[in-house]
Amino acid sequence: MKILELKNVNKIYNGSEVHVHAVNDVSLEFREAEFAAIVGPSGSGKTTLLNLIGGLDMPTSGSIIIDGTDLSKLKSSQLIDFRMRNIGFVFQAYNLIPVLTARENVEFIMSLQKWSKRERDERTFELLKAVGLDERADSRPSKLSGGQQQRVAVARALASKPKFVLADEPTANLDSKSATTLLEIMEKLNHEEKITFIFSTHDPRVVKMAHRVITLVDGSVATDEIRE
Amino acid sequence: MKNYKIAWRNLWRNRRRTLITVASVFFAVFFALVMRSLQLGTYDHMFRNAIESYTGYIQIQHEDFWDNKIVDNTFEFTSDLDQDIRSMKNVTGTVPRFESFALASSGTLTKGVLVMGIDPEKEALLSDTRSKLVKYHLTDANIGALKNSNLPETMKKSLDLFKGNFYSSNSSLAVDFNIEDKDSSMINSIFRKHASFENGYISLGEPGALIGSKLALYLNAGIGDTIVLLSQGYHGTTAAGKFRINGIVKLPTPDFDNKIVYLPYNICQELYNAPGMLTSLAISIKDNDDETIEGMVKEIEKEITPPLKVMEWREMNKLMINQMDADSKSGMIMIFILYLVIAFGIFGTVLMMTAERRREFGVLVAIGMQKNKLSVVVTMELIMMGFLGIISGIVASLPVIFYGYSHPIRFHGEMAKMYEDYGMEAVMPFLLPDMYVLWQSLVVAIIVFIALIYPLRKIRKMKVVNSLKA
Repeated sequence: MKILELKNVNKIYNGSEVHVHAVNDVSLEFREAEFAAIVGPSGSGKTTLLNLIGGLDMPTSGSIIIDGTDLSKLKSSQLIDFRMRNIGFVFQAYNLIPVLTARENVEFIMSLQKWSKRERDERTFELLKAVGLDERADSRPSKLSGGQQQRVAVARALASKPKFVLADEPTANLDSKSATTLLEIMEKLNHEEKITFIFSTHDPRVVKMAHRVITLVDGSVATDEIRE
Repeated sequence: MKNYKIAWRNLWRNRRRTLITVASVFFAVFFALVMRSLQLGTYDHMFRNAIESYTGYIQIQHEDFWDNKIVDNTFEFTSDLDQDIRSMKNVTGTVPRFESFALASSGTLTKGVLVMGIDPEKEALLSDTRSKLVKYHLTDANIGALKNSNLPETMKKSLDLFKGNFYSSNSSLAVDFNIEDKDSSMINSIFRKHASFENGYISLGEPGALIGSKLALYLNAGIGDTIVLLSQGYHGTTAAGKFRINGIVKLPTPDFDNKIVYLPYNICQELYNAPGMLTSLAISIKDNDDETIEGMVKEIEKEITPPLKVMEWREMNKLMINQMDADSKSGMIMIFILYLVIAFGIFGTVLMMTAERRREFGVLVAIGMQKNKLSVVVTMELIMMGFLGIISGIVASLPVIFYGYSHPIRFHGEMAKMYEDYGMEAVMPFLLPDMYVLWQSLVVAIIVFIALIYPLRKIRKMKVVNSLKA
């Protein structure tokens, strides 16, 4: 089932002297439960494309449609609400809320969505167990290693059962072992939760595990390879 | 997770910075309240002294008397007028006065004095002259006797500091010598035994006088001595008379204490050849709030006809009010500077906090927190910080204010002389907590709210993509 569609998306940054065409006429479709990697050299537009898909930035032209909703038609507050319900984010630098424990970080989006306490507790326990951190649930981010923080970030991204998760270079700050563990967890959750994962990455391990690899060059899709 | 919980935890993530900011608010509130309490307390004390020992709250006078205080500007005091005024609601009594100036001589010494003709009994309603009669006098002989008594050693050491002083009450003695309540009865009895001052009083129809303690010192006159008064009487007649000094009073306002001579008012009328005339009829009232006084002035105005005129305490103390107003403004400028420094401190904290957390704000909005909700959390943080500072500032200032109220700052030596040269009592009491506490706290709260504008504006204008790159 198609959950995300990009139609002729362009993003141009207008500087005082230079215009940068960061995303150039990109058209893509993503289906449920995909495990896709967007690769390309630095400056090829990977992060910009993820920001556009996540509604964090608006395209100069073209449209992004998620589950039938055109993001450009939403007002700012509606867009924030839409993101909360449909998109999960995993950032390169983890970006957990430092004053909340692992459990509270995962619960945070569910409380914004006014889930009941019982529902929140069940889902949080389930996710922290899935990422192997149920015993560190009451630790604050500063007491967790980088790999553990990123696993909490994955649990947080999945908390509200989004349509898809966008992960910008999720393994870039991790050592080899932590990166492998994280990828295995994400692949498992991709299977179990049927949630689409879209990564931007340089990491060959991510590329190796991905079911689909989209290569960007100078903001355009150079190749779009689907693996069986 | 409730907003206030997140806000509270955010507050303590940079504990040192939060404590510094709370401390700056604390000190601003603390010093502003203490300074204001001292300033307002001093004004209040000066007003009370002036009103209670001289003007009262309302007076009836001849319309020209206030500007030209001569005995020709007197009015006839009739029993009808007295009855009309006394029958009014809120009036507890009338206090007749005959006031003029004279030259007072005793022995070879002469001084210009204020002669105040009073009804010795009715005056109890207003300035209560009897309560101002001197009880104790610290003469050399008395100090010697006190030093040989059972007084505590600390008190004996400070006796010389107050040599020559007159005391009209145990409470003024307690203030000068820091006497605790538990010791007061024992110490007062020692003073009664070794330093008491035998005073008499005056009564209507008998030609006796009471004089201020400073005037007594100047004229080197005591009880039983004679004082000669010389002045100009009604319609240019000569006013001259000699009076026995029946008593010495200690007035709180040094200026008055230095020049006051009390006579029974009917004796004063005889002295000035103005029988049946008064310079003022002071009115003693139950409630002295502004609204009641204003209402009473209007009511009395209906009862009297020119040349009689009603005057209220503000009109009669205009100079003092103007001086206090100017002094109050300079105090406000000091407090404003204090607030300005604090405002920059708070703003600095807010600025740093906003810059440091730019990326975090971006992440929160990216994952679904509405900007309004984020603004609420940030607002709560600053309110909590401000609230902690304000409340702790108020709590810390209260004991100081209460202590300063019951133990006013009393100046001695040169400082006291300087105050007294300006006609003021050398004492600075605090004012008990009143609306000024609310106002000062409100100002600090407003500063916190103004500082809030910056982060709230930043959140509203925030572009998530840019914040995530921060």
